[in-house]
Amino acid sequence: MSFLPLRSRALPDGETIFVNDSGRFFLGADGFVGRLIDGAETEGDRISLRAGGHLIEDADSLAFAAHRRAVARRIAPAAPLDYLILVPTLRCNLDCSYCQVSRVNIDRAGFDWSEETLAAVLATIDGLACDRLKIEFQGGEPTLRPDLLRAVMEKAERFAQRQFVICSNLQHIDDELLAIFDRPDVFISTSLDGDEVTHGRHRTKDAETTSAFFRNLRFIVDRYGPSKVSALPTINAATPPAADDLIDAYVAYGMDSIFLRPINYQGFARKRHKQAREQDEAWRSYYEGFIHRLIARNWADQDRVLEETYFSIGLRRIFQPGRERHVDLRNPNPMGYDYIVVDHDGAVYPTDEARMLARSGVIDLSIGTIEMGWDSEARELLNSHATNQFDPACMRCVYQPYCGRDPIDDLARYGRIDMPRHDTAFCRRHMHLFDLIFRLLYTDCEKVRYSLAQWLRLPSIPDSFGEVMA
Amino acid sequence: MIPLLLSAEAEADAPFVTRLRATGTSMHSADASLVESDALGATFAGKSGLFAIDGATADDLDGDVVLVRPQAGRVERLLRSGSPHNTLLVTERCDQLCVMCSQPPKKTHDDRFDLLEQACLLAEPDTLIGISGGEPTLYKDQLLGMVERVLTARPDLRFHILTNAQHFDADDISRLRASLYRQVSWGIPLYAAEPALHDEIVGKRGAFAQLEEGFAHLIMAGARVELRTVLVTPNHHALPDLARYVAARLQFVEAWSIMQLENIGFAKGRWSNLYVDHRADFRPIGMALTLATLHNVRAQLFNFPRCTVPADFRKYAIASISDWKRKFASACEACREQSQCSGFFEWHPDDHAETCVEPL
Repeated sequence: MSFLPLRSRALPDGETIFVNDSGRFFLGADGFVGRLIDGAETEGDRISLRAGGHLIEDADSLAFAAHRRAVARRIAPAAPLDYLILVPTLRCNLDCSYCQVSRVNIDRAGFDWSEETLAAVLATIDGLACDRLKIEFQGGEPTLRPDLLRAVMEKAERFAQRQFVICSNLQHIDDELLAIFDRPDVFISTSLDGDEVTHGRHRTKDAETTSAFFRNLRFIVDRYGPSKVSALPTINAATPPAADDLIDAYVAYGMDSIFLRPINYQGFARKRHKQAREQDEAWRSYYEGFIHRLIARNWADQDRVLEETYFSIGLRRIFQPGRERHVDLRNPNPMGYDYIVVDHDGAVYPTDEARMLARSGVIDLSIGTIEMGWDSEARELLNSHATNQFDPACMRCVYQPYCGRDPIDDLARYGRIDMPRHDTAFCRRHMHLFDLIFRLLYTDCEKVRYSLAQWLRLPSIPDSFGEVMA
Repeated sequence: MIPLLLSAEAEADAPFVTRLRATGTSMHSADASLVESDALGATFAGKSGLFAIDGATADDLDGDVVLVRPQAGRVERLLRSGSPHNTLLVTERCDQLCVMCSQPPKKTHDDRFDLLEQACLLAEPDTLIGISGGEPTLYKDQLLGMVERVLTARPDLRFHILTNAQHFDADDISRLRASLYRQVSWGIPLYAAEPALHDEIVGKRGAFAQLEEGFAHLIMAGARVELRTVLVTPNHHALPDLARYVAARLQFVEAWSIMQLENIGFAKGRWSNLYVDHRADFRPIGMALTLATLHNVRAQLFNFPRCTVPADFRKYAIASISDWKRKFASACEACREQSQCSGFFEWHPDDHAETCVEPL
């Protein structure tokens, strides 16, 4: 007896990609596919399948053990809490058209942490059992409350490995803030939509506000070097900037990673950018064009490696499960365990998007409060649907081992979690992403192969990224 | 070279283990304290009486855990104080006869498990203790018993055990799943993905098939494994295939060490047939490293001086050679990367070492 845990998907150019339950894959040409369908594999076919772990014979106990382990490795365990997303204030000094958190004006009262909330956050930090901690300050604009940032950082001094990421629009920097930025364990995350015109369109609007941001970004990069800052663009898919203009804007500040992110269908964007609910073919072709521009530029200038962050995450998930911890693409996707969001009012949410939905009045997905805890029925309910393992569509999908599940995204777009998977934006996005990756993995183009090797952090370009069965 | 075997005279008749103390602090009942010393040697006294060691000073020996063998007139420094490289030899018998063996096996077995166990219990806090042979698992029950008792008494210690992994069976899985085995890693050699080639290199028919069984048991036990491949002429061009095999079937290993040949033991006499000048053809090695990295296998190069490795692969070449048997060429003095470098084995031919380095 033998066991063949394979799924298949026809690629547009006629070949077929085969992936087994552990995520190991190969490309089958027509001849092989025909033999497989007819049950007429040659001994050579069987030898290759066995070597790749795709065909497992009863007597081959090592193949069974390796397969079981590899399948298990694809399942992300929920680690202890070591990542806090903190929203010390919802107030903001900008008013971006697509604000996903529905911020409030800078002079509003009652949208900052209370004394009690701060005390409960600090007590939570004291109670953490881990030896490393990541804290991300979100908003609103968290730098409006440097006192709260300091209080949290002081409490977290005991962690040998600690990282604080301050998500700031960098509109206003003063000495008090610089004293915080000067800490080597502090990193800055900001938004950069492109050149000044593009950035001003939805975010800063008037010329003075726009140039203040670019001045401050330059100042920060000059003062600390580009590794201190990361940035994300928000792209209006209806009018995206030219790929090279966007890349140039990032390169100008020494930033090599660009997370190409369409407007998030959350918060104010739900009303002001209604088309953001679905990404259409135009977006996908823009995305592909962008990846090809990165590939061309990487080849032309081999001193730097430009990458699209999410493409690299998808690529590494194919080959290197568990290597990185990206909480937006994992399976299962345990919510409210290894990271939580603490809102301005002390409510605890499983993800930042969950907080945005509550804020938009769509559905209250809070799972508790920082004072009373979050080991709740709501958390349990969310987690019972946080896996793609038993979804009838996912179970037949070649990309299941690499993909994830995001019930909160489904709720945001459709108000329900039981949509047929293929009809969700999440599924379409990832089918497109993985189709694109596999097309690139099997091209002969040296320029493509060079960038893939760089994005996978390889010391040289491999003979091939995957087997072909002819 | 730091000598591990010294001559000694002792009052006692039977072999004994003791820890040497040149200064009088925190005496354990198994410690021996310094009586007198000079530049040529030192005399200690412990519960087994007086003994004198030649060829090392009291300062050198302070804190060492030693095995004194009065009949042989020898003392073995089993666990040198402050050294990260301590290896205990549990047997010289082996059921393989590897073509490049650095420590050719013997037919006889001198059972010292009791003494070695006493030594482990005296180790400095947090020591990593290497266990080697011969083939240690020929005495599997004694070995596992020793490891389990030591780690129960001393959970701060760790073991790294070299084995051909051919003596594990399904009954061992539950035993090896015990949490104390998180402190144990197994160093296991595999030379080729082609069974016949592996069998030929290790001099034992059927070794590959038995080894695969062993790996299956170790996976199911959740064991920690370091895979080891010595580079020799017969497997040089087979390394990329071995990398594909490791990625497909042995992805569970914590590390894969590709090791340059040691000029000692059988390899000394077969040097010209076995030694691969990796500077002349690094490609198969580089491809193996690339494929391993692609598939999330942590590969590393042992005994490859950094300057002899192409720059893109230099990060894989680590300082692998134990302090007591490591040397550098004279030109290495000027090198910026000496502290990260393996250097050469003490017994590597000087004329070769001197001509192949280019300080970085």
